[in-house]
Amino acid sequence: MKTAQAGTLESMDCLVTLTEAAPGSGIKINITGASAARFNSAMTKKINETLAELSVKDMEVAVQDNGALDIVLGARVEAAYGRLMK
Amino acid sequence: MRRTMLYLPGNNPNMLTKGHLFGSDGIILDLEDAVAMVEKDAARILVSRYLKQGEFGNVEVTVRINGIDTEFWKKDLEAVVPMKRLDGIRAPKVDSAETVKILDEEISRLEDKYGVPQGKLKLFCLLETAKGILNAYEIATASPRIAAIIPGGEDLRADLRTERSMDGTELEWARRFVVFAGRAAGVDPLDTVFSRVTDDEGLRKETEFIKQLGFAGKSIIHPNQVRIIHDVFNPTEAEIAKAQKILAAAKEAAERGQGAVTVDGKMVDMPVVKRAEYVLVRAGLA
Amino acid sequence: MTINAVKREIPDYIEGYGKVRHYEGAFARKPEGAIAGAKLRCFNSDITDKRVSSVKEAIKASGLKSGMTVSFHHHLRNGDYVVNMVLDACAEMGIKDLTLFPTALFGVHKKVIDHIKSGVVTRIMGSVNGPIGQLVSEGGMEVPVVLRSHGGRPRAVMAGDVHIDVAFIGAPTADKYGNICGTLGKSACGSLGYAFTDADYADKVVVITDNLVDFPAAPVSIPQTKADIVVEVPSIGDPAGIVSGTTKVTRDPLRLLISRYASQLIEASPYFKDGISFQTGAGGIPLAVTAFMKEAMIRKGIKGGFGLGGITGYFVELLREGLVSKLMDVQSFDLDAVKSIGENPNHIEISADWYANPWNCGAAVNMLDVVILGATEVDTDFNANVNTEADGALLHGTGGHQDTAAGAKLTIIAQPLLRGRIPCVTDSVYNVTTPGEVIDAIVTEYGVTINPRRKDLLDAVSGVKDLPIVPIDELAARARKMSGPTDPVKTTDRIIGVVEWRDGTVIDVVRQLKK
Repeated sequence: MKTAQAGTLESMDCLVTLTEAAPGSGIKINITGASAARFNSAMTKKINETLAELSVKDMEVAVQDNGALDIVLGARVEAAYGRLMK
Repeated sequence: MRRTMLYLPGNNPNMLTKGHLFGSDGIILDLEDAVAMVEKDAARILVSRYLKQGEFGNVEVTVRINGIDTEFWKKDLEAVVPMKRLDGIRAPKVDSAETVKILDEEISRLEDKYGVPQGKLKLFCLLETAKGILNAYEIATASPRIAAIIPGGEDLRADLRTERSMDGTELEWARRFVVFAGRAAGVDPLDTVFSRVTDDEGLRKETEFIKQLGFAGKSIIHPNQVRIIHDVFNPTEAEIAKAQKILAAAKEAAERGQGAVTVDGKMVDMPVVKRAEYVLVRAGLA
Repeated sequence: MTINAVKREIPDYIEGYGKVRHYEGAFARKPEGAIAGAKLRCFNSDITDKRVSSVKEAIKASGLKSGMTVSFHHHLRNGDYVVNMVLDACAEMGIKDLTLFPTALFGVHKKVIDHIKSGVVTRIMGSVNGPIGQLVSEGGMEVPVVLRSHGGRPRAVMAGDVHIDVAFIGAPTADKYGNICGTLGKSACGSLGYAFTDADYADKVVVITDNLVDFPAAPVSIPQTKADIVVEVPSIGDPAGIVSGTTKVTRDPLRLLISRYASQLIEASPYFKDGISFQTGAGGIPLAVTAFMKEAMIRKGIKGGFGLGGITGYFVELLREGLVSKLMDVQSFDLDAVKSIGENPNHIEISADWYANPWNCGAAVNMLDVVILGATEVDTDFNANVNTEADGALLHGTGGHQDTAAGAKLTIIAQPLLRGRIPCVTDSVYNVTTPGEVIDAIVTEYGVTINPRRKDLLDAVSGVKDLPIVPIDELAARARKMSGPTDPVKTTDRIIGVVEWRDGTVIDVVRQLKK
């Protein structure tokens, strides 16, 4: 399966790893790091929204977080997706 | 006012979030030198989203795109021009009116494409080669978009086959020339960066020097530089008081139909009035 | 269940803590009765040497038994060997079920975890942090931790809420008859302020030193009249962890921005005049505020009164330059402070009781004009939380937060609006440590937020050049917008921590985290 990453582990950033998933397997999300305890729902929502905008239905998403705001999380998912599609 | 324009690395969320809070007159979201080649795509997306969100307070917001000799510059413009919170583009390595024309046309095309008012985006031109410096006036007058011309630092030094000295001797002529060209063209001459970020005294000295040359402000790479530069550029209490006195005298003379008046034994003519007005602008009182 | 004066629902009885006196307001509770004391002792001239040969001998001689309360001071900070040394000895001697009553614990004390697990320590009254805090938060102790402020602790002792059976006092210098000095010796820590109450009110006092000098040791911090037993050991601590080197003012732009706003607020306040007294502590922001205040004092020709609390070299510099006239030092943070308190008569050692106790004839905090504090979060009622982290873990002691806030005329919380994604200004803090009633202003990178109760301050700061004034609701809304909605902390009903207000009432409780 193809994999791509975007982002960093610097303060207020996150490292997003996307791994292609088989058709029909849906979006699988795993969040670890600084905001995981209190922002899992918000981050999950943002990831799903971003992937929906990119018309992605099946993907494994791993986020190592160091305090990324939604705006950053969305940008990192989009960038990782761009790299995955290259 | 463009006393300070702060570069923010385009792939750094922390600085993109907080960079506008440090009191600089402008910020420059940097897609060029502050971003590694392999991160150009990610930085472009990030900067684009920050511009779309537009939470930058009242500062002037510009983006430094990659040079027109790269594969990135058109994608950079495509990503940032449509976004609501953008005042201008800072273009690197502008060395002739031809470069301006290429940029101008592409920006115009994108303004039309995305319904941005034609001519809304200003151009800030970095003159980073000997040729660019020599063409400064031609560049500054090449498009109504031009808001400022800025001499290069490291790139210009390299082009001149010299290197950085403590007192900046190698840039002295370029600086003077850019001030002349900018003022002649009616655009802001803005100075290059001061890279020794912990040398507060050195920064103060250099700022005093470039202010004396006639620069309108300086590009900066660290938030802690803002206050020092504003300190130098801001008029002192005494200067403000004097300017107010001059303007009051000039106003009174005009009301009485008199031409020239004197303040503190010195003739007040138009250049003096103009300078006094400019003092109040810099003090934020006009 | 009762809803207290900061709108927290608190049980009337807490298992392992007892009957709850509910918080009713910062200055509501008045004391009754007399000061509780230590046992009387008698030493005649037949005993002229109180030394024993080892820590175990000292413990034996002290009469320490299972179930008793032992106390320690934290002046050796993260270099301290004494807590571990004594608890290890207790464990080896089969002593169990101890109540640990330190003035604070540090990372170096994580070994306490082993003693908790083996039942040597079954109760902690004092700060818990790092791994101990995590253990407690996840339910690792049978009885709740009791958190008290630096002033609340001596109050609790003097009011008889806590009785110290044996106080173990790490002494950088001592003599065979128990005179203690903090400023000399290889483990010098300067002020011994936090140890005074323990020396005064414990039934037995054990002096542990690594620098035994001829009688009488001088200068004396705690005199021989308090000491029962003296023991010499090779080392009481690691000097590198006891004091820091010279602390430099931060160059972090965000911290500098917040510090500058705080300093502008102080300068605009009615307290910025000759004789101004302040406490700023050792953190990055407070230290930078002190630097900016120094600039302003010089610019305006103002001379300060006293500096209070934990003292750094930076404060010592202010004293030397005549910008403050006295330092009242309960804790000396760095080498410059240790040196100064030993040499300069205007640098005064004060006890925790003198510093911060609400139940005596007046603590030093009462004379304070300005204090700069931090917090993990504050809310729209200006309540501050310093005890728990965003994930609900109990990781910090209360320190002098409550006391200085209650005492100072201008209490400022200076803190970034967000730490990473976590908002530091919320609608309601997870735990209340210090009530909004005694907090006057919050300073963030977005400017200054004044408690509406302080109309006078709001008038004083409005119109100050380059100083944004932000209402609290706007600040909270901004934080919420940036961070997005938070998931609630998942807890069980079990209470693992009791946060006392400095007067001994319960202001809040901390519940066990759900794994």
